[in-house]
Amino acid sequence: MKRLSVFLVTMLASLTTMADWEVNMPRGVTPTANAAYDLHMLIFYITVVIGIVVFGVMFYSIFHHRKSKGAKPASFHESTTVEIIWTVIPFVILVGMAIPATKTLIMMEDTRNSEITLKVTGYQWMWKYDYVEDDVAFFSKLDSDSNEARQLGSKKDVNKVDNYLLNVDNEVVLPTDTKIRILLTASDVIHAWWVPELTGKKDAIPGYVNELWIDIKKPGVYRGQCTELCGKDHGFMPIVVRAVPKQEYTKWVSLNQKNRVADKSK
Amino acid sequence: MTGTKGTIVKLSLVVVAMYGFSYALVPIYDKFCEITGLNGKTNEVAYIGNDIQKDNRFVTIKFISNVANSAPLDFEPSVTEMTVQVGKAYNTHYVMKNNSSKQLHTTASPSVTPGKHAEYFKKVECFCFEQQTINAGEVKDLGIQFIIDNDLPHASGDIILSYTMFDITDSVKETNRL
Amino acid sequence: MSANIDHLKEEHHQPSGLMRWITTTNHKDIGSLYLWFSLLMFFVGGLMALIIRAELFQPGLQFVVPGFFNQMTTMHALIMIFGAVMPAFVGLANWQLPMMIGAPDMALPRLNNWSFWILPFAFTMLLSTLFFESGGPAAGWTLYPPLSLQGGNSMPFVIFSLHLLGASSILGAINVIATILNMRAPGMTLMKMPIFVWTWLITAFLLIASMPVLAGAITMLLTDRFYGTSFFTAAGGGDPVLFQHIFWFFGHPEVYILILPAFGIVSTIIPAFSRKKLFGYDSMVYATASIALLSFIVWAHHMFTVGMPLAGEIFFMFTTMLIAVPTGVKVFNWVATMWKGSMTFETPMLFALAFIILFTIGGFSGLMLAITPADFQYHDTYFVVAHFHYVLVPGAVFAIIAAVYYWLPKWTGKMYNETLGKVHFWMTTIFVNITFFPMHFVGLAGMPRRIPDYAVQFTDFNMIASVGAFGFGLSQLLFVYILFLTLKQPVTAEDKSWEGAEGLEWTLPSPAPYHSFDTPPKVE
Repeated sequence: MKRLSVFLVTMLASLTTMADWEVNMPRGVTPTANAAYDLHMLIFYITVVIGIVVFGVMFYSIFHHRKSKGAKPASFHESTTVEIIWTVIPFVILVGMAIPATKTLIMMEDTRNSEITLKVTGYQWMWKYDYVEDDVAFFSKLDSDSNEARQLGSKKDVNKVDNYLLNVDNEVVLPTDTKIRILLTASDVIHAWWVPELTGKKDAIPGYVNELWIDIKKPGVYRGQCTELCGKDHGFMPIVVRAVPKQEYTKWVSLNQKNRVADKSK
Repeated sequence: MTGTKGTIVKLSLVVVAMYGFSYALVPIYDKFCEITGLNGKTNEVAYIGNDIQKDNRFVTIKFISNVANSAPLDFEPSVTEMTVQVGKAYNTHYVMKNNSSKQLHTTASPSVTPGKHAEYFKKVECFCFEQQTINAGEVKDLGIQFIIDNDLPHASGDIILSYTMFDITDSVKETNRL
Repeated sequence: MSANIDHLKEEHHQPSGLMRWITTTNHKDIGSLYLWFSLLMFFVGGLMALIIRAELFQPGLQFVVPGFFNQMTTMHALIMIFGAVMPAFVGLANWQLPMMIGAPDMALPRLNNWSFWILPFAFTMLLSTLFFESGGPAAGWTLYPPLSLQGGNSMPFVIFSLHLLGASSILGAINVIATILNMRAPGMTLMKMPIFVWTWLITAFLLIASMPVLAGAITMLLTDRFYGTSFFTAAGGGDPVLFQHIFWFFGHPEVYILILPAFGIVSTIIPAFSRKKLFGYDSMVYATASIALLSFIVWAHHMFTVGMPLAGEIFFMFTTMLIAVPTGVKVFNWVATMWKGSMTFETPMLFALAFIILFTIGGFSGLMLAITPADFQYHDTYFVVAHFHYVLVPGAVFAIIAAVYYWLPKWTGKMYNETLGKVHFWMTTIFVNITFFPMHFVGLAGMPRRIPDYAVQFTDFNMIASVGAFGFGLSQLLFVYILFLTLKQPVTAEDKSWEGAEGLEWTLPSPAPYHSFDTPPKVE
């Protein structure tokens, strides 16, 4: 596995020069996405430590207990005490992981006291957004630039397309510092709505309604994709959320109320 | 070889039993959903009890609608939000319009969010209990009457009632033909 | 060797040529059929993987349309799971179980012939759907409705071939259990059985319990599509999520069907080349059994994002995490077996060692995936793809390759070329990591799985992965060359081909006689 570490080192070295060598989950801009990030790092570090210990012992043994170095095999082959120890210790570590994980989960599932409700409906292959309280509704699909470039045999250079495959015709606009309840459903098959920096994903299932909540702490544009195989254009129904301060959001809502579906769905 | 024969018989029984079990999972799942509110399904037949007490609590109900498979239908709640007293019966309706040029058969599938509150949402009357027939261009009011059960836990937050309307004209025709 | 063959020809009057293989009821013949078939399917499935990796080499669509891409991902999974890994394990069971327990053959030789010969027909049918006008299955190997109900004409053919594959596995499993329970040599109690036999016994029970559930699930899918039932459609009061529950009730035990025999192989090879008994035999058996039992109560961790009640999410998170305990015990026992041993590093040992390290890495990412709130981020991304390829390729496939190198001299009486074996090992191990390790990174950075095209920031790691995949594919051609060279040699292998090898199979001559033990050996 020496080669693997060399590979990793080269990769980490090139991180400094190339922005595209992203190796980790992005930190979130909502309490829920941040909690997921923290848990991810916690479990990752724990597994790294366990890995170093276990592989360390293994490699020590591989280097020192080899026949070519004249090692003679020992005869021990069982020990109840040892077995109990290495059953109990992992169990204790797991309990240590389960406690913060459960706390986070309870926090994530509490959608009460949301201020606005956004209904998201998955279609083959686009999203529809309904602002339940505000009478704003529109479809959102892959922007025409990406759509042209993605065709088989297209002459358009994908590297020159702005946010290739992660850009839409109509962005979802949402206010910052607001608890937003997101309702998910679908019109035809199962889709899943995911914007990594805002929240983990959840399935949009025809006939049923799922829910999520987010509270965006930082204005900005956040991009995501459908994450449940939904047919041939599954890879081509991105999500773009623009988070703006509350006043700006209110202004946006009043400009976009009524009949926006009719205007924009073409 | 009696040992082998015995083994084969027993194992074959396990295979048959496990096949049966996969079908048994269907009612088990339904029961499980009913208990835990797993998929937010509500009662499928009218609630006719009178054991619900009025309560001095109010909850907000939000109504949403969906049309499955982009069927040629408009389907919207008449009001999107009601604040209701727990334990008291209320009426509201959805409006459906047939945008096509032929008669359609439809059926609606309800879903309550959060799912665990589905059991407290009691429907006395609902258009979702039966199939609908709607003529070309017709506009129809589809009524529901509901009571929020006073067993609803305190601090429950808003309840969302969703209906998804399915166009089942093809399968109805199929059944009639048979 | 030649004496053996003469002896066979006199006593059995078997047909020669193709008919010998079609009518054979011999466990070794059938084992070979299974193994060759699995190798063929490994290349067919591998070719599909290479089409996938070629398309993903750079962003934009260069070679295939998205619909065909989805057919490739779906078929690749079905072929590799049901065509490559499972038949390979059944082949190994056929060759080894009778020799390891001191029996002349499997308990049900004719059934054995059947369970193999179902496979070529099932796969011909499955593969033929690719040539349909509407194409092959494209809804993923998990066949989730409603998407799978939208599919073209391929669907009933796919379902029928899956039924056949299931039937073949069930027959195979019945045979394995009947053999192990009834045909052990006198004195071989259950707790004296070789560990590979134990893992296969438990695997066979998993097959018996889970395959019929898959059959039920896909039958419901079929009646939903063609006979107006609505198990899985909301319009008729069904629920598409129910399919996922039933599917994964089968699917999770299936995951262990693909890995438990691999545990058995590694637990056989590590002691042999450490020249030391397996540490904690009893706890290995108990750990395997508890993994198998747990596999029936963890299924919903494959579907945390469908919107389960909180209590359900917590339950499935805890049970899933619990699996780390017996799995950990196994890894610790392997390390303890090596500890103070006298190790040598022939090809089977190298593959077994790589198995332990790389499978454990897959186990670590599995543990991360078990943490529900984090899984909401990982789910259906390339992180998951990296995870299950780490447990299936350097996991299951490495164990199978290790087993072939380890038992090849016993099967053929011929020793493979050790230098080439080591070259094969290093190429395979290097390329498997180049292929799958970067997938962790793109997955965490947000690349969903099952997409034919991706945003440009994922380009670099995808290019690396594609290069790795082609390298991995080429390395396996070397494997075929090594097998070819070995078979061409004269018979020279010793009866006990490895200094530290233990077990009844090594008391037989190499190559092993047609009927393994005509008179049962005595086990102390």
